Amino acid sequence: MQVSRSVMLLGLTAAGAVALAFTVLRAPAETATPAQLVASYDSLANAILAVKATEDHIVRAILASGYAEAQATVERAKAALDAGDAAKARPELETLAALVAQLGTEGDNAVAGIRKRLLEGGHHHNAEGEQQGVFDEGYVVVTKAAKKTLLDASKAIAGAKDSKALSAAWAPVESTMSGLMKG
Amino acid sequence: MCCGTGPARPHEARARTRPRAAEPAGLTVRVGGAAARLGPALLLLSACDGRDAAPAAASPPAAPPARFRFVDVAPEAGLVRTTWAGRPDKDHLLDSAGTGVAFLDFDRDDRLDVFVVNGWRVEGSEVLERGRHALYRGRADGTFEDVTESAGVGGGGDWGCGVAVADADGDGWPDVLVTSFGSLALYRNRGDGTFEDVAEQSGLVAPTWNTGAAFLDADGDGDLDLYVAAYIDCTMDQVLAARPSLDWKGVEKVAFGPFGLKGAADRFFRREADGRYADATEEAGLRDKALGFGFAVRALDFDDDGDADLFVANDSDPNYLYRNDGGMFTEVGTWAGAALDGNGAAQACMGVAAGDADGDGLTDLFVTNFADDASTLYRARPGGVFDDVTAHAGLRDPSYGPLSWGTAFADLDLDGDLDLVEVNGHIYPQADRHPELGQSYRQPAQLFENDGGGRFADVSAQAGPGFATARAGRGLATGDVDGDGDVDLALSQLDGPPVLLRNEGAAPGAWLTVACEEAEGGGPVIGARVTLTAGGRTQSRDVASGDSYLGSHDARAHFGLGAVERADEVRVHWPGGGESVRRDVPARQVLVIRRGS
Repeated sequence: MQVSRSVMLLGLTAAGAVALAFTVLRAPAETATPAQLVASYDSLANAILAVKATEDHIVRAILASGYAEAQATVERAKAALDAGDAAKARPELETLAALVAQLGTEGDNAVAGIRKRLLEGGHHHNAEGEQQGVFDEGYVVVTKAAKKTLLDASKAIAGAKDSKALSAAWAPVESTMSGLMKG
Repeated sequence: MCCGTGPARPHEARARTRPRAAEPAGLTVRVGGAAARLGPALLLLSACDGRDAAPAAASPPAAPPARFRFVDVAPEAGLVRTTWAGRPDKDHLLDSAGTGVAFLDFDRDDRLDVFVVNGWRVEGSEVLERGRHALYRGRADGTFEDVTESAGVGGGGDWGCGVAVADADGDGWPDVLVTSFGSLALYRNRGDGTFEDVAEQSGLVAPTWNTGAAFLDADGDGDLDLYVAAYIDCTMDQVLAARPSLDWKGVEKVAFGPFGLKGAADRFFRREADGRYADATEEAGLRDKALGFGFAVRALDFDDDGDADLFVANDSDPNYLYRNDGGMFTEVGTWAGAALDGNGAAQACMGVAAGDADGDGLTDLFVTNFADDASTLYRARPGGVFDDVTAHAGLRDPSYGPLSWGTAFADLDLDGDLDLVEVNGHIYPQADRHPELGQSYRQPAQLFENDGGGRFADVSAQAGPGFATARAGRGLATGDVDGDGDVDLALSQLDGPPVLLRNEGAAPGAWLTVACEEAEGGGPVIGARVTLTAGGRTQSRDVASGDSYLGSHDARAHFGLGAVERADEVRVHWPGGGESVRRDVPARQVLVIRRGS
């Protein structure tokens, strides 16, 4: 945050100096912000907003990828449970639990590392939502409530003993993801 | 060696079962109005301790015996050297992180010794003193002798952080690993009272802010590997240049971080056949992808499959729970329920305790956290998952206010269940200037009594002067330092000497301590699991190196037995396979069980 402010201040100072020089050198005095600077800033604004939208798209892609993997895994786990093959079901259930937990945390630890780096740089995608208690710091799509639902579901999935229990544990994942991905 | 400790007895001479002073040689004195059996060491210390150990005649006749009573005997016992912690205002988090403490028996004389890690004393950006670690050798009279210099474990001048004790080279003598800012030291115990630092020549190189560490046999090859957590990625120049810059609740500038700073990567070192260590972090699946702000590390077999898994408490980041499958680790903390609290929030975790809180045979985890946030009790469920049961266990409200660090499960009243201790102290000295915020820099430690079913009551106010004194506490280690059968506590604190809380409780319960040794003697055998059945109740303990907050407890397994004077069975599961069983074991002794016997 401090670095960003410093860079911004430097930029503003430089821009001010250019504007001042421009003003002094020509006559009569012009009060309007130089059009070129306005245009540059406008372009930058487009880029900043586009980057934020891109971040949203990337996180949604992470979620979509994880969810697709989870949907495939839940079918395999159900099949194994229905067949009474506990040995085969166990790794599938654990994989599914991990995938669902990662939906709750918007990705695995590698993604968490990137999110942390963004926070270190002062970037909060949902700053207002964080202040309102809706989002955890740095989260883009998954709300706190959705996160808790998904984390609880992941534990329930890991402990599912049969297909019925797995379906019950999976149901809130489907409804939560459906709501999140709509947005 | 100048202190005349001499070599320990030959291994062969050690008795398999050693009655301790408490019962047979006991001298009965009155403590707090209740009869208690005290050995000569305790008597001597009591004589020195005019503050807390009142003679019988002075006790009010109606005063009930105190079930819990802890008294600081460190000054009289000779634990006096100051542990330095940077600058008075704690300008950087390194100033306030503090250091660990360990109980060990380095000279194998059956008396516990104490190791305290030291930091630096700094003023502004000037280093005034590079603190020397301290090794205190326990004497027969209950006091300690500072043998740091003769033992050669004072340190190479780096700012120390944590300590883990284990027989790293398998020669029967406990070695000492010290983590520091910028380096590791592995003090190999020569067995003659002296040590040599073999870290660098062994390949233990970690130029980062190292914190907690744990030895474990990760790959099941019979030797001990090492996991070392790391905190913030920064340089000593940055530490010394730091000034309070973070706005704290709108009232003060305090030390910045950890938010806004980059985490440092944890490391895993695999011990090779030639005794050297190789950095196998990536290979073992332990790459610290999230760069969590790592503090405490605890090895435990949480999924009960016979190998050592790892728990890493991260500050402000999700904790890691690494499951070991044949030497390859998978991080499962999030779905296993131990990475976040019950609301899905990452907490500012500092220390960890592992133990069976509710007597169901599974190892639960207790993690200490920042101020204005509860410490968290993760109850283990079958299948290797955890539930946050903090509120149900009665721990949310009493643990919410303080900023907590070192912690331990221990049966402090010898009634057959595990009580809990946490050591507290804020990181901002500035808190004392704002009492309206409800925090203070120095905070008393807390003791939570287990009701036998995993619910806890805060009994700190009834636990004697040791739990009434506010300190800038950090490290905590448990061990029966006076050999009377109950568990005593060693604490480290910022800018002060260590604290030794002698257990003077009047709880009448029996006890049994089990020392797990290698076939030739010595050890301890890290990763052994002891299961004891007595009076219809089964308890278990695991033997770990690296625990609490940057420290190590006495590695012997201690059990309270309540009114039962014999254990029906004591069973040791050895790491790598095999069991040893003893039946009909009398209580009130230290039972030594050697692998293969």
